[in-house]
Order: sequence, then structure tokens, then C-alpha cells
Amino acid sequence: MTFEPRIATFCCNWCGYSAADQAGATKLPYPTGVRIVRLMCTGMMDPFYVLRAFERGFDGVMVIGCHPGSCHYKSGNLQAKEQLGRLAGVLRALGLGEERVLMDAASAPEGARFAMLANDFVERVRQLGPSPLREAAP
Amino acid sequence: MTDPPKRKVGVFICHCGGNIADVVDVNRLREYAAQQGDVEVATDFRFMCSNEGKTRLQREVKERGLNGAVVACCTPKLYEDMFRETAGDAGMNPYLLEIANVREQCSFVHRQEPEKATEKAMSLVKAQVEKVRNLRPLEVKTAPIHPGVAVVGGGIAGIHAAILLADLGHKVTLIEKSPTIGGNMARFDKTFPTLDCAMCTLSPKMDEAYNHPNIALMTYAEVRAAVRTPGKFTLTVEKKPRYVTDACIGCDRCTERCPISTAKSPIQADSEWDLGIAKRKAIYRPFSSALPPIWTIDADHCFYFQRNKACRVCASVCPTHAIDFTMQPERVSVEVGAVVLATGYQLFDAAQIPQYGMRKYPDVYDGLQVERMLASNGPTRGKVVRKDGTPPKSVAIIHCVGSRDRNYKEYCSKVCCMYSLKFAHLIHERTGARVYNFYIDLRVGGKGYEEFYQRLAAEGIRFVRGKVEEVTDRAKAPEEEGKLVVVAEDTLVGSVLRVPVDMVVLSPAMVPSAIDDLLASLHVDKTPDGFVKEYHPKISPTETAVKGVYVAGCAQAPKDITETIAQAGAAAMSAAVFLGSGEMSLNPLVAEVDPALCRACDRCTEVCEFDAVRVDPDGLVAVIDETACEGCGKCTVVCPTGAISVRQFKKSQIVAAIDALAPGAVP
Repeated sequence: MTFEPRIATFCCNWCGYSAADQAGATKLPYPTGVRIVRLMCTGMMDPFYVLRAFERGFDGVMVIGCHPGSCHYKSGNLQAKEQLGRLAGVLRALGLGEERVLMDAASAPEGARFAMLANDFVERVRQLGPSPLREAAP
Repeated sequence: MTDPPKRKVGVFICHCGGNIADVVDVNRLREYAAQQGDVEVATDFRFMCSNEGKTRLQREVKERGLNGAVVACCTPKLYEDMFRETAGDAGMNPYLLEIANVREQCSFVHRQEPEKATEKAMSLVKAQVEKVRNLRPLEVKTAPIHPGVAVVGGGIAGIHAAILLADLGHKVTLIEKSPTIGGNMARFDKTFPTLDCAMCTLSPKMDEAYNHPNIALMTYAEVRAAVRTPGKFTLTVEKKPRYVTDACIGCDRCTERCPISTAKSPIQADSEWDLGIAKRKAIYRPFSSALPPIWTIDADHCFYFQRNKACRVCASVCPTHAIDFTMQPERVSVEVGAVVLATGYQLFDAAQIPQYGMRKYPDVYDGLQVERMLASNGPTRGKVVRKDGTPPKSVAIIHCVGSRDRNYKEYCSKVCCMYSLKFAHLIHERTGARVYNFYIDLRVGGKGYEEFYQRLAAEGIRFVRGKVEEVTDRAKAPEEEGKLVVVAEDTLVGSVLRVPVDMVVLSPAMVPSAIDDLLASLHVDKTPDGFVKEYHPKISPTETAVKGVYVAGCAQAPKDITETIAQAGAAAMSAAVFLGSGEMSLNPLVAEVDPALCRACDRCTEVCEFDAVRVDPDGLVAVIDETACEGCGKCTVVCPTGAISVRQFKKSQIVAAIDALAPGAVP
């Protein structure tokens, strides 16, 4: 059976989630392994959720917020970037590496960008192979 | 932690015609949903958003006593509110309903893979069922809205909005920073395209605002701070001292006798009202029909203040003893339910473009200075003259000074084409001068505007299409001696022109008034150009993202008087509807604090962009201002103890969704 990466995708309500809606409205395909959790803002993206996702067997984590300067709440996306940056060492120590986590942005009308980010990231994770923690997941 | 209460969850799967059902196997999805924990009923229907679909949802809520629901349908952006309201009407707490987005996130994007799409739909539904099992019912709190309204800015926008709101019975506080209301419009002689007398149309409105029983006027006053609490803004307004009391009867004796303008006096006060093209005395009123009709002492130029109480002439001649040198700045608190920002504009300082000669050559003027020169109540009584008193024989009007220019302001100031045409007409009419307009593009869209342009072209006004390179007094030919030479490329002909003129008029960009502190205090954003950011540039141009704060006139963007009046009316209407509702619902999806866990470390207050959380020094616990909190959740991530969380987005709720979406969660 071919490896289908499962991606925990955290989208802010205003940009990432709307961009995903836009990708849907314009019927732009991306792999089914992309599973979206809606947050109001990536500012509430706790690094813990990344670890939880890997613990539960996800192969990658994608966080899609607003472009810098466009955060609905002014600076939530910047805090998310900073918070996720703090995870780098932990991810390396766990043998996951930083490549499996992506923080990027897509504004509400950027459905094509969302689909592109999703496709590219899934492809990247496919190259990396299944998460080493997947087997141990409950 | 106690377990969440036992739930009875209903799952409602929408076919969306075939949009969902043609891709996702809804029968499998329904059977799967029915097996999930706490799910009491799972059902599917062609159109959940139809009346019949909503009735089905309500029937299940009532008959089964559901206290949780998942609707698997299109994006929550479309019908989440509607389904919550529908469930709420049937007696369920609306915040126990979640949407599983199986259309935009599933059937629309995985049309080629129906098998996998069905499996994904199952996991999306499971995730929302798990989230719902972890939700708590939320109460929507309301706060009474203070019935009063503050209008900041006493120009035509503020005056118009204030009168409308006052007519509707609201108590309006109209706050103006200068000594009189009227704003920039009161400086104008004529308004385009009809050439109506500006003061003839403005004065009655100024009078109405001044005399309106529901309008309290605060002139020479500025908002220094704003605090938002549920349904109320408390504004701290600083009233600057006029040193003249309300006893003033406007007899002008003080100004006549004020010694400032004597030849020996070193102090010269430029009239703000005339933008420096005239002087004024230290005790003054800006213009003859200024309101309120109370004089003002400019302490920076008054001998009493500047020369150790040397002069008290005004006090000695005042028949009503209205002069009071002991006045101090006074801070008053104004409580209102809504704020209308009508803070207007100022002109871009044309001296920032040195090659245009502003303040270098005496006969280079900017737009507002020319307005004053043209005005019958201005320093020249409407005569167009050069600094030496002679009328100009030729005048150049330069459009787009600082606007549509990447080096200064990228935007188009929109009104300059029309007022430049107005100047051209009036100057030509009054002096017979040859008038040249140097323009990039003529933008004369508006009722009667194009016709006005055609009229001017017929009057013999000259139009040169090209950006002016410089204005110089360096003559290169005998006919340029003693003249200002406008150097420009005529882009229609493709040649460089040197046009010698007697007077140059610059039409600078309109820029926002200096209100950054006020906006920060109200938490209202600016657009990159510095103007007040409207809630939506297309469909909510009078509202801001802050509930209860509205915007009108050039505070939002450059616009002419017609548009300003229209927007001020719309802003007043929006404010009236808000105030008239009497109470506001507070978004329940905001942060809350578990006092038992809070250590008052202040990290939440440090990251909050909205001043929505503070540490109560008595209880040593963080306290959320639910009217200010936007629910972004930044604080929840930096909180070291997990004491602070956003309702509906608590860690347990998000983790429940993550777990349900994980591989292996759906067998």
C-alpha cells in the first residue's frame, strides 16, 4: 500500500481556513490526508498541539495563518511563528526533524495558494516517509 | 477535572443536492456517525439549510432532548450562525452545535477519490462529535448601551452626523480641537461644481449644531484617552484654556486693542485659520462667523503670558469681564455608547517636495491658502493678488503634489482635480489671468463634474498633461525675468515646456489629521495610508472593527463634501441603530480565567493586543474585559499554568479534534 501522509493542518479562521474554503469552492484538489482543525487565530496555536499530533500518528503538521501584517488580531501569526520556532530542538531530539512542520500563510482569496501549500507539503512529507512515531501511536 | 456531562448528540448530514452526496457515501457516513460516542441520532437530508432541513433539526432537538449537534455540510462560514440560531430556537444551547465542513474540505476537493473522501468525511464528523462532547453551554451576556454619542471633529462630517443623531434624540457631545466648529469647509469660498457659497450652506448647519438642545459642544478640546467597558466608552477630554469665559459677547474690543501687532512687537502670530497668509492678534476668533462666538487668547503670543503679566489691555477693555488669565487646562470625562470619528484631513506639506518652491518663493501657495485668498471673509476679501499686492497675469496650478507619487503618497486624493478646476475658474474670472493646469490625469467623475471641466475648457483655461519637474525663478530667457518658471514635460506633445507665471498654486495630497493616539486608545486600526480603517472597504465603509465606533468623511479617505455628507449620514444611521438596540451581545467565544490556576504573572497582559486582560492587584488574578477581548487566544499559549483559555477553543476541545483526525481514529 502506498504511503498517504496524514497532515494535521491548523488554520486560522480568517485567512487559512477561508483560503481552504476558497480552494474547495474552486475545486482545487489536494490529498485527502490533509485534515484541518479550525482555530480563531494561529496565536492560539500551542506548540503542544504539534507534539500531540505526532504522538497520535500524524506524519506532518501544517499551520496556515494570515500573511505577516494582515493578522485579524494584529500579531497572532507572529506569536505562532515564534512559538513554533521554539519546537525545533524538541523535534530534532524526537527524531522527527523540523521538515515535518510548516508554518505559512494564505489569505482568504488565496485558494490556489492553499492548495499549492497543501500539495507541496504532502509531497515533502511523502519523501520523508512515515513519521517514526506513527507505529507507536495508539 | 470532572468528566464532561453525558451528551445526547445529533448528527445531521447534508447532501447539498449532489455536491456532497455525489462524492461522499452518505449512507456509510450516517451509519458511522450513529456509532460514535454519545450520538443519539444520525440522519441525512438533501438540503439541511432548507426550511425542511431546519425543521428536522429542531424536531430532533426537541423530541430527543439533544444537547449537542453536528451538521455535516458546507463551510461554517456560511451557515454556522444560522444552524446555531435554529438549534437555539428549539431549546438547545446554540454553542453546542458545530459544523463538519464536508463540502469545501472534502467533496469539493476530493472528487476523484470518493472512497478516501468518505473516509475523510467520517473523520471530520468524528472530530466535531468529539469536540461537541467536550463543549460546555455558553451564555451570551448582554450589556446595556449608553445612549449618548460622541462625535469627534466639528467639520462638515461631524456637524452633519451630530445633527442627525441629536434629531433622533441622542445626547451628542461634539468635540472639536480648534476654537470653532466648521472645519476646513469654513475656509472655502465656493464649492464645486455648482459654485455655491460654502459658508452660505455651512453656516446654517453650524448654527443648528451650536443651538441644538441635544448637542453639547466642546470646542478647543481634544480626546486624550478612551476606555471601553461593556456598552460604554469613557473619553477623557482635555479642554484647553481659552482665557475667555462664556461671558464674552463678541464685541471685538479686545482684539482692536490687543497690542501684539504694533510695529515694535517682536511677536507675530500667523493666523492658523488663514494658513499663514495673514497675521492675527493674540486674542482672536478665527473668522467672523466662528461658533461658539467666544474669543480665544493664544498664550504663546500674548504679552500677559510671555512678558510676565506686562499687559492686561484686553481685560481692561472687556465690558463683561470675560477675560480670565487663570484658566487652566481641564480634563473632563465624557461617557457615551458610540463614537463617530469625523476628524477630517490636513494637507500634505508641499515643502517636502523642495523643487516646487513652497515657502521658498513667496508666490507659491497651497490649496487651502488659495481657498482663504478666494474667500470673501479672507485676508484679501476674495481678491487674488501676489505678495506685492498686484493681481497675477498668469497662474500655474499643479495637480497631484505628493499624491499618486510613490515617493510620498501613493493614493489619489480624489478631490484635487475638481478644486483645481474651481480655482482655475475663479482666478480667471476675478483677474483675467491666463491659467494653466498641469495634471497627470484629470479625474472628474461625479455628478456635474465632467460638465464643469468642459465649461472650463470652453472658458480658455489651459491644460497641460505632464508632471511638473520644478518651479524656479532662474530665468533663461527675457520673458522669464521676474517670473516663476514652471518646467514640465507636455506628455501629449512630447516636449519639455518652460512656462513663466506670476503665481503658482499647488494642489497637495490630503493626509489624515494627527489622530494616531486617539485611534490607538480606541483600538481602531489605520489603513497603510494612515486613514481610519473601515470594517469593510466595500460594504461597511462607515463602521470600524470596534463595535460602537464609526467613521465619516475624510478621516476614512479623501472625499468631497457631497460624499462626506452622505457618509456622515450613513455613519449616524449605523450609530443610531447600534445605540437604539439598547443592549449589545458580547461574543462569548473569548478568554476566561480559572482563578485557582492563575499566578498573576502578567504574561497574558504582555501579549494582549487589545488591553483586554489585566491583573487585579487585590485578588492577584487576571481579569478579562469581555467587551475588549477578541478571542485570539495568544494569552492561552503564553500562560504557564493553563489558567487562561478561550471558550470553544480550550485545549481539551482542540485535542479532541486532533485525536479524532489522526490516522487510525477511523477504522
